[in-house]
Amino acid sequence: MSPPVILSARGLARHYAGPAGLVRALDGISLDIQAGELVGIFGPSGSGKSTFLMLAGLLETPSAGEVWLAGERVSQPGTDLDRLREVRRQKIGFVFQKANLIPFLTAAENVALSLELVDVAPAPVLAHGCRLLAALDLSHRADSLPARLSGGEQQRVAVARALANSPPLILADEPTAALDSVRGRQVMQLFRRIAASRGTAVAVVTHDTRSADLFDRRVHLEDGRLATRRQE
Amino acid sequence: MNLALKDAAHTPMRFVLTAFGVALLMTAVIGMTGLYRGVVGDALLVIERIDADLWVVQGERAGPFAEGSAVAPDMDRRVAGVPGVADVRRFTQFSQQFAFEGATRRATITGADIPADDGRWLALAAGRWLAAGRCEAVADESTGLAVSDWVELARDVYEIVGSTRHMVDSAGDGLLFVGINDATAIAQKRTSEAIYLARAARGTGEFAGAGSSVAQESKIAAVLVRLAPAADAANVIATIERWGDVRVLTTQQQRDLMLNARLWKLRLQILAFTGLILLITAIVVSLIVYTMTLEKLYEIALLKLIGARESVVATMIGQQAGLIGLIGLAGFLLSIGAAELVFPLFPRRVVILAGDLALLGLALLGLALALICAAAAWIGIARASRVNAREVLA
Ligand SMILES: Nc1ncnc2c1ncn2[C@@H]1O[C@H](COP(=O)(O)OP(=O)(O)OP(=O)(O)O)[C@@H](O)[C@H]1O
Ligand SMILES: [Mg+2]
Repeated sequence: MSPPVILSARGLARHYAGPAGLVRALDGISLDIQAGELVGIFGPSGSGKSTFLMLAGLLETPSAGEVWLAGERVSQPGTDLDRLREVRRQKIGFVFQKANLIPFLTAAENVALSLELVDVAPAPVLAHGCRLLAALDLSHRADSLPARLSGGEQQRVAVARALANSPPLILADEPTAALDSVRGRQVMQLFRRIAASRGTAVAVVTHDTRSADLFDRRVHLEDGRLATRRQE
Repeated sequence: MNLALKDAAHTPMRFVLTAFGVALLMTAVIGMTGLYRGVVGDALLVIERIDADLWVVQGERAGPFAEGSAVAPDMDRRVAGVPGVADVRRFTQFSQQFAFEGATRRATITGADIPADDGRWLALAAGRWLAAGRCEAVADESTGLAVSDWVELARDVYEIVGSTRHMVDSAGDGLLFVGINDATAIAQKRTSEAIYLARAARGTGEFAGAGSSVAQESKIAAVLVRLAPAADAANVIATIERWGDVRVLTTQQQRDLMLNARLWKLRLQILAFTGLILLITAIVVSLIVYTMTLEKLYEIALLKLIGARESVVATMIGQQAGLIGLIGLAGFLLSIGAAELVFPLFPRRVVILAGDLALLGLALLGLALALICAAAAWIGIARASRVNAREVLA
């Protein structure tokens, strides 16, 4: 029996009205990601990778097509995204190219904040945040403000934040772009570990082909469409 | 987790400086209103304290404060004869410069009718009230004179026998009380040359004042009347005014004249400045609220993107509002402290009334609340929802 499908994109399209006419940022993409699967999304700049994550992460509405999460249709053209906050909060963890940490909170507090959002009581929240940071080799940085952390450390805090409420789906947009190859690989290995140990579905957009061996599956986008699909 | 507090702890200097800025503005507002209160209070000091029901002044004039006034020095005896008059006192007041300890000082000489005026309307800070003897004076502290000082006025040397505090005229010059006869003598002071010229003009060897039944200089400004308990003020006024050479003003009329005639422009100006400062304060507080809320736009949008509930966002905005309120409160308290510390050093009296402070505090609170609600509603709810996810995250 194959593991359940967590994310299912069905004919997803996103068009923008640009100055030179319609931009088909995404042009009919269908893609399923299963629990425990680590999928790498590759493609040249402007091919629609970020747009795909925005749609899959319920941060933008599709022009056409549907997004299903764990067997439930959550997004289609005309969906009010503000109403999907609940789904985002409980089902999706985001890691972006920029760490997007709250500057006046320490690393542990940044992680704890996303736990607080899902109503974990304040006392265990910080402890859990620290445990997560420890798992990412960051316990010595738990009380540092983001500005005092290196780019890689910030990115790992962002990963910890995405993991905090154990979402079934993690979407990461070029999380290693700002990191050296060693650090970048560490973050990728982290995703690998999470997918394997927690059964989390992980989609990672990256240009970094050196970590390609870690993915269960790689998809290539070109001009808003899926190009070849290779099974490893 | 109190996000607003964490933010404040992260950049404490900013919040302290903001509180100081608000404090300075508030201090200026307190100062302006206090100055207004002080000017009005000083101007009405004598009128309200001197305990007179009626002021008999020169005919067709609104003396002695709003206009000059001179009545015959024996006017008090004529007024005393009117039925319903309990007692009378002569009154005169004029500005005088004098030398003391090598410097030129100013005082407003106020003639008190000794012994009819027992000085009980004055609170003495030190010493005693004028006795019947001549060449004694009671000086306000603001003149720089203290008890047992000696000062020369019109060639006579006066001993300061008592002192008062905060007894000034409408221009802020300290009052110097002397017997009314002494006051007349001081007012009459002239150079020897002037005396010779006056004698020559009259062609007599006599003193100039003897030429007329009442010398101009020997006149007094007003006669203060206290009415008998059963007396009808209107009757007394009508009786006295029927003489034709004097006018009778009530204390209420004197107050109106002082505020609406003499001090009108000054009051208007101070009030205009108070309004201006209040306006500036309102604008600055609005700006502070606006920028502080706008700064939160990023965090609010980020929270919404990672799925925070509306209640979480609202709580954060509420905490932010509380913080701004706290800054306002701190600024307000600081400003009260600064006002108590600084304004006593000012040359004019600055009156700080609890009622004014309460009103100011309420106004500040209301303003801040209204602005915070408006800004929070706009930024937190409307703008943050419209923020493009990519703008925040990319
Ligand atoms: N808000 C927008 N308005 C108009 N065009 C947009 C908008 N957002 C994205 N696009 C266009 O959509 C296309 C796909 O953009 P997208 O960000 O998904 O590319 P990408 O694959 O992530 O590229 P990169 O690797 O450089 O991040 C681009 O041509 C971009 O210019
Ligand atoms: Mg991109």
